[in-house]
Parts: sequence; structure tokens; C-alpha cells
Amino acid sequence: MRPRPVTALVLANLKRQLRDKVGMFFIVVMPFVTIVFVGMALGGDAADAKLPVAVVADTSDPVSAAVVAELESDKALDVRRAQSAEEVRDDVRQGDLAAGLIVTPGDTSLELVMTQTSGSGMAARSAVDVAVGRVAAVLEATRAARAAGASPQQADSYVSKAKEESVAVTVASSGGDEPSRPTGFAYTAPANLLLFTFVNSMAVAAALVESRRIGMVRRSLAAPVRRGQVLLGEALSRFAVALAQSLLIIVASRVLFDVRWGDPLGVGVVVALFCLIATGAAMLVGALVRSPQQAPAIGPPVGIVLGMLGGCLWPREVAGETLSTIGYLFPHSWAMDALLTLSRPSTGLGSVLVEAGVLAGMAVVVLGVALVVFQRRALVAV
Amino acid sequence: MTPALVCERLVKRYGDKTVVDRVGFHIDEGEAYGLLGPNGAGKTTTISMLVGLLRPDEGSVRVGGIDVDEDPVAAKRLIGYVPQEIALYPELTARENLRYFGRLHGLPRRELASRIGEVLDLVGLSGRGDDKVGTYSGGMKRRTNIAVALLHRPRLLILDEPTVGVDPQSRVAILDRVEALVGEGMSLLYTSHYMEEVERVCTRVGIIDQGRVVADGSKRELVAELGGTDRVELTLDGDVTAAAEKLRTVEGVSEAVVTGSSSIRLLVAGGRHLLPALLSAVGDTGAVTGVEVVEPDLEAAFLHLTGSTLRD
Repeated sequence: MRPRPVTALVLANLKRQLRDKVGMFFIVVMPFVTIVFVGMALGGDAADAKLPVAVVADTSDPVSAAVVAELESDKALDVRRAQSAEEVRDDVRQGDLAAGLIVTPGDTSLELVMTQTSGSGMAARSAVDVAVGRVAAVLEATRAARAAGASPQQADSYVSKAKEESVAVTVASSGGDEPSRPTGFAYTAPANLLLFTFVNSMAVAAALVESRRIGMVRRSLAAPVRRGQVLLGEALSRFAVALAQSLLIIVASRVLFDVRWGDPLGVGVVVALFCLIATGAAMLVGALVRSPQQAPAIGPPVGIVLGMLGGCLWPREVAGETLSTIGYLFPHSWAMDALLTLSRPSTGLGSVLVEAGVLAGMAVVVLGVALVVFQRRALVAV
Repeated sequence: MTPALVCERLVKRYGDKTVVDRVGFHIDEGEAYGLLGPNGAGKTTTISMLVGLLRPDEGSVRVGGIDVDEDPVAAKRLIGYVPQEIALYPELTARENLRYFGRLHGLPRRELASRIGEVLDLVGLSGRGDDKVGTYSGGMKRRTNIAVALLHRPRLLILDEPTVGVDPQSRVAILDRVEALVGEGMSLLYTSHYMEEVERVCTRVGIIDQGRVVADGSKRELVAELGGTDRVELTLDGDVTAAAEKLRTVEGVSEAVVTGSSSIRLLVAGGRHLLPALLSAVGDTGAVTGVEVVEPDLEAAFLHLTGSTLRD
């Protein structure tokens, strides 16, 4: 197959894209605006920013003191002391705190204060759960040792020893002091990469519909080329735009916001697979809708809904278990999981093989269906 | 010499409907052939099969001796196709559009650059080649549309309604250019709603109606089929439909077609002698305000062969 017709088609389409000022705004500017604003809402302006958490506790109570100590040992948290539960609630409501914890001496239930729609609150909740879980484990272990006949001193000694070993194991398995969930720009950069790559792919399908409407696809087919070359050229054009936008977000977020994306191979594979899926979706829209105005009217809303389900607008936990599960029917959830995993130290392509496999399967299905539909509807004359 | 185009018994069906029914004609080297037919007659479907966009259900097409079905890429190299619509990227300049199509045709870089200059000059757009096509007038777009088809020096130029929607001045410019190309020896297939364009440019005409070629020959041969029949253009104030009904009953009238809110076109054997009978037939359906008797021409031949006017 002669490559020249394919490159001719790709070059012409890229040139058209570059001259579409509105389209370029959404491809270049809009993702960064969103990354900045949502990134700040989700935990500050630095990738390693700490989550502000306030605690109301009487530290003369050993359990309360243990919980506070555990929280303070978490390097992802900035633990502050508050005087009253009301003060904590006000600060959480105003967004000054990611979350607040109210520990009542002698009461086994703790009160966690956070807003359900706050991503940073969700992240803080994870850290609080871990800290409280550790304290509960210590208490339970101490009670078990005493029940087994150990003296209070012996029980404390056994639990301290076990705790030290447990901490050692935890440190070794987590691979460092990184927070368990990326926050701030570390979260919004991959989220918006997926969101905008998909949404813009659907929107640029308008150019494809326009090519069909004005007869460019038909006229190109009347040139001495094969149908496969036109099909490949149209698909590669969309793929190139999606990939270019992804690369722009990766590079710019690394330079401007110090976002650590992780293993380049793993990120490259995940992003390329996601771009293939977005290309398939664009080709499908380009083949099915009748007017260029329909593509931007249909594509972006669909892309935004899929982004919501996939955790691109806010962490998936916020949406609840059902919606989170539904989200796994679509590529955004898998790609998001893969990119967040890759952003952690000591991970690579091997850590996201399942996600990459699912994305590859989705790419084959979506792109395959799209190419068949496009060939039947758009490449058939008259 | 191998004919520029030979199509034989072309058939295209969509479901139960046969839109092209055993269409066949040929175009000799350097010949200009016009394909005339009303809307929906099957012209564009036929052309789509000629340029390899559509596969015929039956029949064959050979361009310069190459079978389009067997080697579509080689056959399409010989064709310059100007579609009915303005198939150009409006966001790109004329030069960029031409470069795109030149690459599709596999023209080498250096040759492409000089050919782009030549065709822009040919269609009178060398001063506007770097402007976006979206900023052009309708006539300029049409000329660029034609320039694209000339880029690779085709052996056969196929023009599908090339002057639709252009101003009279641009139409004249386009026709001059097409005539000049034919004069230089290029083979031409020309379809148009405008009879006068086909009469001016083409030496041979095929008339297609309801998917079939109902006549094929030189203008003189087609007109000769009318015998002594004249075309009579009649204008009146009144009920033209009722008047046409009455006129059809007059002996010697072979066709009476309403062509406007106050006009009727008739094919009449010995038109001038039959005028009193025609005026009498109109009777109380309206007042005749004008009568014109026209010598047999292609328009009359078309009406005679298809029973309708070209713009019906």
C-alpha cells in the first residue's frame, strides 16, 4: 500500500484542525484550565501537598492519643488540633480542611467530618481509616494478649514488637512514603487527559462529517487510491490529534505542575490504547451522524458522562459503589486506574497488565466496529 | 486508437429499484460527449460507476482500455473527475487543496509544485491561490473544483454539472476553458441541466431517462429524429394545466408540457400551420399572451424523447 495518500490525508486533516481556533482552544487551553482549578480543589497546587485534617481529641485518653499519633505519622496529612467539633465542621464546610475527626473518650465510634463531594475529603478519609484501623488492631491485639494470660506490661511489649514488625512490612510493601492516593494535580492531570482526549476526539469527528457532507471523502476515493488508504488516513488523523493532545498534557503537566506520570512505557501503552478507543468513537460518530453540528452536540456530553463514571471529574468513590461498578464498563475507569497506579513509585507496565489488556480489548472492539460502520456508510458512494 | 471510455450494459439496482438499466455508450479519444437527463435519471449513479466509486451489478467500464473493476487504481489515474458538489476543504487554501489531491495522485513533489501553478493559471486563480477556499465566491470555488481534476493531466475529464450555482460571467469562463481543453485533445464527458452548454461544448450527446439511454448521437442526428416537428412556446394568463390538457387533444401535437405558472412547451408537427388550431384549443382556459415557434433543436429532441423538459 502506497503510504503517500495516507500521509496526504493526515497532513490535510491536521492542517484543518490547526486552523480551527475553537477546536484548538479546547485541545490546548481548556484542559489546563481544568487541571489547575480542579487540581487545587482536590488538594492544593503541588503533587506532594498534604491534606489538612483537624482532630478534636483528649490526648490524656490513651486511645485518643494513639489515633492522633497514627494520623500524625501519615506524611500525606497535615494534622491540626481543634478545640471543638463545631469549629471542625465550620472549617470543613468552608473548605479550609479536607476532613475532621472527633474522638470522644470512652466512645468506640469516631465521628469523621467531610463533604461527600470533596475529592480531598475522600483522600483524607482513606488515611483516617488506615490510622483508626491500626489503633483498633493494637487494642484488639492487647486485649487478646491479656486474655491469653499476659500481664499488662507483657501485652504492651508483645503488641509493640508486633507493631514494629508490621510497620516494617508496611514500609517495604508500599515502597516509600508516598501518599496512598495521588491528590491535586497528580490526580487531575491524568483525569483531564482522559476526559479531554475523549471529548475532543468526539468533537473533531465534526470535521469527518463535514468531509463526508461536502463530498471530500467521495472525491478522494475517485483518485487512484484504495478504500483502505482513505479509511486508514481518516483514522490516523483522529489518532494523531488524540495522541498529540495527550502528549501535550503529559509534558506540560510535568513541567508546570511537577506531575509524576511514572514508567514512560506503561504510560505510553495506556495512553495509546485509550487514544485508539477515542479514535474508534470519533470514527463511529463521524460515520453515523448526518450534519457537522450533530457531532459536537452528541460527542462531548457522552464523553463527559463517561468521564464522570470513570473518575475523571471527581474520584470514583464519590459516585458510590453502583456507579463506580458501572464505570468499569467504559474505558475511562480502566485507564484512570492504570495511570494512577503508574504514578506510584516502583510500578511499570507489568503493574497495569490487566487494565492494559481490557483497554486493548475495548480498542479492538470499538475501532473494529467503527471502521466497519465507516466503510459501509461513509465510503459507499451515492 | 483505444476509446477514452467504453461502458457496456451498466446496471445498478437498489433493492427492487433499477436506477441504471443497461446503460452503454463510448467516448472516442478527444471527443466531447454530453449526457443529458432530468433529475433522478441516473446520471450521477452512472458517473459513480465510471469513476470506480460504485460497483455495477452488471456490465463493464473500460477507461483507456483498462477495466475499472479489474484495476480501479490504474483506471482512475486516467480520469479527472469534477463532482457536482464543491468537494474542497474550505479551511485550506486552493494551493493546499491542490497539493492534497496531487499527493493522492502520486505526483512527484517538484512536478506537483509546477502543476499547481499551471492549473491555477489555467482557471485564472493564480493571484488567489494562497487564500482559503472558504473565502472564495461560488464561481472561484467551481473553477478550483475543475483545477483539481486537471492537476494530473487526465486522459478523460468527467464534469458533473460543473456550472451549477455560478454567475453568468464565471459560467462563460468555465465553458471557454472546457472548450479549450477539448480543443487541445482532451476527451470529455459532460453532464448539465443547461442544454445550451451541452450544445456548445459537446459533439455527441446521450439522453438518459429513467435509468436508460434513450438516444445517442450527434446533435444533428438527434434533432433529425424529430422530423418536421417544431417546438412551440406558449404563454397565457389562465389555467395552464387545463390548457395543456386541451392542447394534447389537437392532432399534430405530440407533447404539451407545463414549464411554468404561465407557460407551456409543445412539440407540434408543422408548428406554424397548426397555430390557429392551438389558439382555438386553449379556448376559455386562458388568454394567450405570447407564442414562439422554434426550429427543431436539442431541447425539442429531449422533450420528444423523454416527454419532459430537462429541468423537470
